[in-house]
Amino acid sequence: MHQFEVHKIGPSFSINGVDLSFTNSSLFMLIGSLLIITFFIAGTRKANIVPNKIQLLNEIAFNFISKMISETAGPKARPYFPFILTIFLFILTLNMIGLLPYAFTVTSQIIITFFLAVVIFIGVTIVGFVKNGIGFLKIFAPSGVPIFLFPIIVAIEIISFLSRPVSLSVRLFANMLAGHTMLKVFGGFVVSLGIVGGWLPLSFSVALTALEILVAFLQAYVFAVLSCIYLNDALNMHH
Amino acid sequence: MSEFDDLKKKIELSKNKYKIITPKNNNSTIGTALRISTELVAAVFVASLIGHYIDKWLGTKPVFLIILLLVGIAAGIFNVVRSAKMINKD
Repeated sequence: MHQFEVHKIGPSFSINGVDLSFTNSSLFMLIGSLLIITFFIAGTRKANIVPNKIQLLNEIAFNFISKMISETAGPKARPYFPFILTIFLFILTLNMIGLLPYAFTVTSQIIITFFLAVVIFIGVTIVGFVKNGIGFLKIFAPSGVPIFLFPIIVAIEIISFLSRPVSLSVRLFANMLAGHTMLKVFGGFVVSLGIVGGWLPLSFSVALTALEILVAFLQAYVFAVLSCIYLNDALNMHH
Repeated sequence: MSEFDDLKKKIELSKNKYKIITPKNNNSTIGTALRISTELVAAVFVASLIGHYIDKWLGTKPVFLIILLLVGIAAGIFNVVRSAKMINKD
């Protein structure tokens, strides 16, 4: 479909055969990042005791993630707060921008979400080994398992550990792709049924847009929560 | 400090005036529910991919694919049960 196609903007540019051209995907990621930066600059420029509207929004975003981290990963995860907040706001902004007409949804590209998930996966693994040393391998071996079941359980745990980035990225990508495709299908119905029967699909697509806003928020939230849960596994080992 | 006290009084007043009903926070429950759907598929997918490549490497065509597919299904169900337990705990 046209809205999911990546195309180059400006001249082609490649290093060692790796294509590094500026695409519409890069453009919308840049727009998203700039939006987040302006949002925080505008909110913190004049910090008052009684916050103005933008400052209030800043504080809500801040407190929301801060609360979520302390609920899911505990006080040890405080140093990772900036990272989680960045991930959450980046995905949320890109999802929301994607809902605008003619905009490109960056998070509907599997490679983007997979890269984000792999960064989290590798980061969490490194944090786990740094904090627990070789003892981090214990997450593959839960205690209290009968000896003859042990190899099977270890294999299952390894597979479920390795499947984390896949499930994390596929969830975000599939939700965004499915939502946009559904909107497109209902939009097509409106056109093909014309002025006589087009009202029903039109009202459906209005409702679907509302649902998509919820999904855009929830998927960003789920991504952040799961990153916290994985961090929790690495930081507070209690097997 | 009087500015502060005034503000406090104002907030108290308006709080009583408009009884704020805080909605129950069920964001995280929906979030945990959304987890489950992909959890099952991802484990099976990853396991069979690993099995496929081990087979390619050792030349034992379907053996590891089948074994790891079974392990993957088990891991998927394991993950789903774990997520469901997390929902129950909340």
